[in-house]
Amino acid sequence: MPELEEQKTLESGYVTLEDLRRHGNIPPDEVLESRAVPIFDCIEEIPCTPCRDACPTGAVIMPTMNDKPRVNWEACTGCTLCAQACPGLAITIVNIPFGKRVLKDPTKALVSVPYEILPIPKKGEKVALYDRGHRYLGEGEVFSVIRSYKYGTVLVNVVVPKEIALEVKFVEVVRDE
Amino acid sequence: MIGKCSQCLMRVNGYPHVRTCITPVEDGMIVEYEEGHDAELPLPTKEMLVKREDLEYDIAVIGAGPAGLSAALEASSMGARVLVMDQSPVPGGQLVKQTHKFFGTKETFAGMRGFEIAKMLTDKLKERENVDVMPSTQVIGYFKREGSLAAFRTEGLGRYTLLRIRARSIIVATGAMERSLVFPGNDLPGVMGAGAAQTLMNVFGIRPANEPLIIGAGNVGVIVAYQAVQAGIRVKAVIDIAKKSAAYLVHSSKIRRMGIPILMRHTIREAYGKGRVEGATIYKVDDNYRPIKGSEVDIEVDGVWLAVGLTPSIEVLELMEAGIKFVPELGGYVPMRHRNLETTVPGVFVAGDASCIEEASTAMMEGRVAGIAAAMRAGLGGDEHVKKMKETIRWLDEFRSSPHYRRIREGLFKVTLEGGAS
Repeated sequence: MPELEEQKTLESGYVTLEDLRRHGNIPPDEVLESRAVPIFDCIEEIPCTPCRDACPTGAVIMPTMNDKPRVNWEACTGCTLCAQACPGLAITIVNIPFGKRVLKDPTKALVSVPYEILPIPKKGEKVALYDRGHRYLGEGEVFSVIRSYKYGTVLVNVVVPKEIALEVKFVEVVRDE
Repeated sequence: MIGKCSQCLMRVNGYPHVRTCITPVEDGMIVEYEEGHDAELPLPTKEMLVKREDLEYDIAVIGAGPAGLSAALEASSMGARVLVMDQSPVPGGQLVKQTHKFFGTKETFAGMRGFEIAKMLTDKLKERENVDVMPSTQVIGYFKREGSLAAFRTEGLGRYTLLRIRARSIIVATGAMERSLVFPGNDLPGVMGAGAAQTLMNVFGIRPANEPLIIGAGNVGVIVAYQAVQAGIRVKAVIDIAKKSAAYLVHSSKIRRMGIPILMRHTIREAYGKGRVEGATIYKVDDNYRPIKGSEVDIEVDGVWLAVGLTPSIEVLELMEAGIKFVPELGGYVPMRHRNLETTVPGVFVAGDASCIEEASTAMMEGRVAGIAAAMRAGLGGDEHVKKMKETIRWLDEFRSSPHYRRIREGLFKVTLEGGAS
């Protein structure tokens, strides 16, 4: 069956959460619950290395340029540089403990979404949350915006319900007409 | 909009058939539609000056895109006197409209955007005294016996300089031209190459459509769809007759999450509208690419953008009588070449899309190989340059070892000759 599933993904044109689990791109629960982690929507062997080159701790493992990136969860500090550097905008940073530790609300999590469309969402703005196939997931709020001068891709940090943190992949500002 | 097709031909200041997409605007210019192709060549006037120049260089590079600029950088750093010509008034080739960050590795400036790479390469060349970059210059002939090129430089409308260029080596980095598709209504205004739409959006700041349909879900189609969204355009759909998209999943995922449908096994029946595209009929095909009855759907669109592949521009190589072979995997007719990218004409090298339709990253690396090899042909360089060329070839081999480049590998196997540096 996995092969058939793979085919479906290729036809639909996007990577699903199930694909990512199968490829080992989703960390174990204890890791997810304890720190910020990058989720790489990158499961093909393509010649591309900016994530590896941006990683300050060597946590992105990619022996040759065509290898799929693998993350050493122990070495990763959740610094977000890979997400800023990725030319495919394929990496989100999922920070589940952020809800409990910073917001004092364990039902929430923080997701950093790479963003390249003007206008850039602003702190405090409401955003519509979408999954990988543009399914509407609900509303989130912009906590902060990281403007990456080195890598040029903005990261929008969004507070979302914890249970959909792994699904959020795109946001759109909700503006009153 | 890459200066090669004839779709932008207009009458300018009375001159017929002017390629408006590569002609800079001047004050007081009169630009008119041409009805049919019955325009007459205007008689020479006093202003229509043709001058003559004789030039001599170690290396002549035809094309100032990623391949040509990289070749010029390598060759000039080995001490060669280099001339880079390009038909466009602005150097950079197709890099100038690439607003997305590039894949690849540090060697090919991965993470930088295409237009930034164009600027960086051009700026570097400007600093070098032994390099001349000559825009608005088209090569039109090759004189075999003396090994020289004929070209003309457009100084303004109707003002040309005819050039004879002698060079010890020549690098052909002429790029490629977008393919079109045959369907009723494909001549309606609003139907254009995806590259043309990209030029209008990203170089000229013009919105070519509000709700276009894109044909072709390869990397070009999905990247242009993404850039259209960035330009505030609502892409109706990206369709492709193939069963599976040839694009990198990361690229297609990017537009799917923004809600742009990708319809595989779909193609266009016709585009229609009064005076411009107002809609298109698309249909689904079965496993044998035959239309499925009853699958026709009319969609309201005001543009149809074609991202259906590219054809290498090899006209200059044909003039030179270089060995040419038809290799569909590489985009059509392409020159035979050695590993160091020398063609069957000694001293003539090829690099970039003219050698094989691929990526800007590989074009830059091929340019470096050709640049080093051409400079060595001209008697420059030493062991360290042989080593550098071999390393660059190794990088190309590694890049192409991705499953995405299987067809490229097979194609290259058919046109690569024994001998030359490897």
